[in-house]
Amino acid sequence: MALLNSSCCSTPPPPSSLLPFRKFTSNSLLLRVSALRPLRRHSAQNRLSLRLKASIAVESPAISGSDRGGDSPKLLLEVKDLSAVIAESKQPILKGVNLTVCEGEIHAIMGKNGSGKSTFAKVLVGHPDYEVTGGSVVFKGENLLEMDPEERSVAGLFMSFQSPVEIPGVSNIDFLNMAYNARRRKLGLPELGPIEFYGYISPKLDIVNMKIEFLNRNVNEGFSGGERKRNEILQLAVLGADFAILDEIDSGLDVDALRDVAKAVNGLLTPKKSVLMITHYLRLLEFIKPTYIHVMEDGSIIRTGDISIAKVLEKEGYKAIAAA
Amino acid sequence: MAASTFFTPNLCITPTVSVSISPSPSKFATPRSRTRPRTTKTRVLTQPSLTPLASLSDPFVLEIAETLEDSISSTSTSVPPPLQKLRHTSSQSLLSTPWPSRKDEPFRFTDTSFIKHSHIQPISSPPQSWNHLGVLPETQLPNLAIVDGYVVNSLSQLSELPDGVFFGSLSSLKSEAIMKRVSEFVSNVEGDLFWSLNGVGAPDLVVVYVPADCRVESPLHLRYFSVEGGDSGSKKLPISNPRVLVLVEKGGEIGIIEEYVGGDGNKCYWANSVMEVVIGEGAKVTHSYIQSQSLSAVHIKWTSVQQESASTYELIEVSTGGKLSRHNVHVQQAGPDTVTELSTFHLSFSDQTQDLHSRLVLDHPRGFSRQLHKCIVAHSQGQAVFDGNIKVNRFAQQTDAGQLTRSLLLEPRATVNVKPNLQIIADDVKCSHGAAISDLEENQLFYFQARGIDLETARKALVFSFGAEVIERLPYTSIRKKVESHIKELLNPVLKGSTS
Repeated sequence: MALLNSSCCSTPPPPSSLLPFRKFTSNSLLLRVSALRPLRRHSAQNRLSLRLKASIAVESPAISGSDRGGDSPKLLLEVKDLSAVIAESKQPILKGVNLTVCEGEIHAIMGKNGSGKSTFAKVLVGHPDYEVTGGSVVFKGENLLEMDPEERSVAGLFMSFQSPVEIPGVSNIDFLNMAYNARRRKLGLPELGPIEFYGYISPKLDIVNMKIEFLNRNVNEGFSGGERKRNEILQLAVLGADFAILDEIDSGLDVDALRDVAKAVNGLLTPKKSVLMITHYLRLLEFIKPTYIHVMEDGSIIRTGDISIAKVLEKEGYKAIAAA
Repeated sequence: MAASTFFTPNLCITPTVSVSISPSPSKFATPRSRTRPRTTKTRVLTQPSLTPLASLSDPFVLEIAETLEDSISSTSTSVPPPLQKLRHTSSQSLLSTPWPSRKDEPFRFTDTSFIKHSHIQPISSPPQSWNHLGVLPETQLPNLAIVDGYVVNSLSQLSELPDGVFFGSLSSLKSEAIMKRVSEFVSNVEGDLFWSLNGVGAPDLVVVYVPADCRVESPLHLRYFSVEGGDSGSKKLPISNPRVLVLVEKGGEIGIIEEYVGGDGNKCYWANSVMEVVIGEGAKVTHSYIQSQSLSAVHIKWTSVQQESASTYELIEVSTGGKLSRHNVHVQQAGPDTVTELSTFHLSFSDQTQDLHSRLVLDHPRGFSRQLHKCIVAHSQGQAVFDGNIKVNRFAQQTDAGQLTRSLLLEPRATVNVKPNLQIIADDVKCSHGAAISDLEENQLFYFQARGIDLETARKALVFSFGAEVIERLPYTSIRKKVESHIKELLNPVLKGSTS
């Protein structure tokens, strides 16, 4: 069964996405006319919005429910039969994960504790605690598994950590400056000095609703749970990413903080950018609407569907899915 | 991953806790049988009667003492009484103090034998030309220049001190009241051989006096500089013996900055420095201590602190210089409710030894102390030594004492010897200690990488940040910035290519 299900999700079935404007380059004038996916609260406003820059688009990219045209969306990430073990103990965690993500899609992975969701995220970004034992991962046409973690990052892959580590003695702004300059180097652009960078980053703080003092504190040191999550999203905002993996970005957040974080993520999305969320709760998915929901169990994806899966899960638990 | 350790560094931790720690009031009676601390076994006491072995005079020590005495008597004319007293007690104790060997516990890991094989020369007069002094650290603060152990007024800047505050050499002290106070306190604590050698050889005594309830806004900057010195590799070892007494009366408050620098090049010299600090009731002293001596120098330093009730002493040390650098810090509690915070950072980036021997004695209730010692050894022949003793005696109930030491070894065969030791006799105390020796943390490195930062840059940032925890406690921005950039300069070449 697992095999059947996972093979079916390697080629995305409907509902699939239509990105009506995906031929525009990201810098072009973008008039978003329709949010095809129902957006209860913001759709009216969104329809009217005229966006000069894709990078400041506020709402989720438009996703079509059914009318997929002749153009198939551009492939961003393709994971085939990925298996991985814990590097130290050789205990298998991932047992053949298949996943295909196209530009502009929002995916969510749900699953019980210990089903391998976070491991999957960490393997994608090259965490040294895990060792890939089989399968392939192609990101933007390149073999991701051959790249160092930092190369994956500058190639446009981002993961927000579930519990980001404290780095005493390194200030937030210095850390972000280093990371941002690494990206600029890769793009062949001159690096920004501390003062220029300060000018660049200050406005970004509004995105995550943080005060300027936040920058002078040491990375994650003494941060509350909410502050850590906001800080991860700030990093995403500063660095930008074509594919962002948000590992339990909603855990430990109160409703207001969750709304802030979700708003920030939505604000960062463009029709070309994709997101993979790992979560236990429907709540997050109501703020950031996924195109697909995958259910993971025992190291592979056993079910793929739309938001209705999350609703079943919320109501009846994972048993209902496993039994289906 | 490349960040993992490829080498087996030499390390040694010998934690000794002589009495088990009970976090809550214990039901059991205070142990009657005092545990005899190991460290005192080989300690050299100044009273010959107690240690018959030590009563034999060490001819080598006597020889140095004599040359020091000769050099002093040839310069000074009238010696103020406190200095006379200091010389007298010091020479008395030298009669029975041998040169330390590796068999003596306090010098188990610190080899001083090469000093013994050098040609030790007292510096009998202050240098006559100041051409070499281009490197004298810049400062905007009230400051005193101490060159080869001698106060040089022409290089000092002592304006704008509040009324009643004295900052200068004993010979220019006019107030009899202060002179009397100085006499009470000078050298009434026992030290080791180097303490006594300083007492015999100190040509002068620098006094910092803060009267009762006086808050001195601006910190006082003591700039120590060495001009005399043998060429690197030569046997010549000129010795200077600067000595300072800081006396802060009840309710007073002051910041002291001690900064030691060597001249250009790797000159051989020996700075044998002593600072005594007496902190009155409710008074506060913030002591910043920066040591960046020449890499061929011997730097032996004593800091002896006496804290009256409810007083505060904060030490922030950054030591990077010297071939052999040893700091002895002794803090003695003289009343209840004291606060003591020691933060030290040692960097051994070449063929050098950085040694901290700290001893905190708590005899009264409700003392609070925090000690953080960090060291990086970034050279295969580099060494760091830490012996941190905290003694909580019978009447020091409700003491809250914490000690943490962390060492970072960046090269194969880099060595650290760590000996945190708590001796607790009181039964209602809260004490903690910890020692960790490591390479950089993998998950921190990965966090950098996950944000696109390459391993070399990440390593550098983490190594700098390791010391930054101490450096950022330096209370004055100008000094902090200077120290930060100095540390970066020293570490940059060390870290280049170390990740390959």
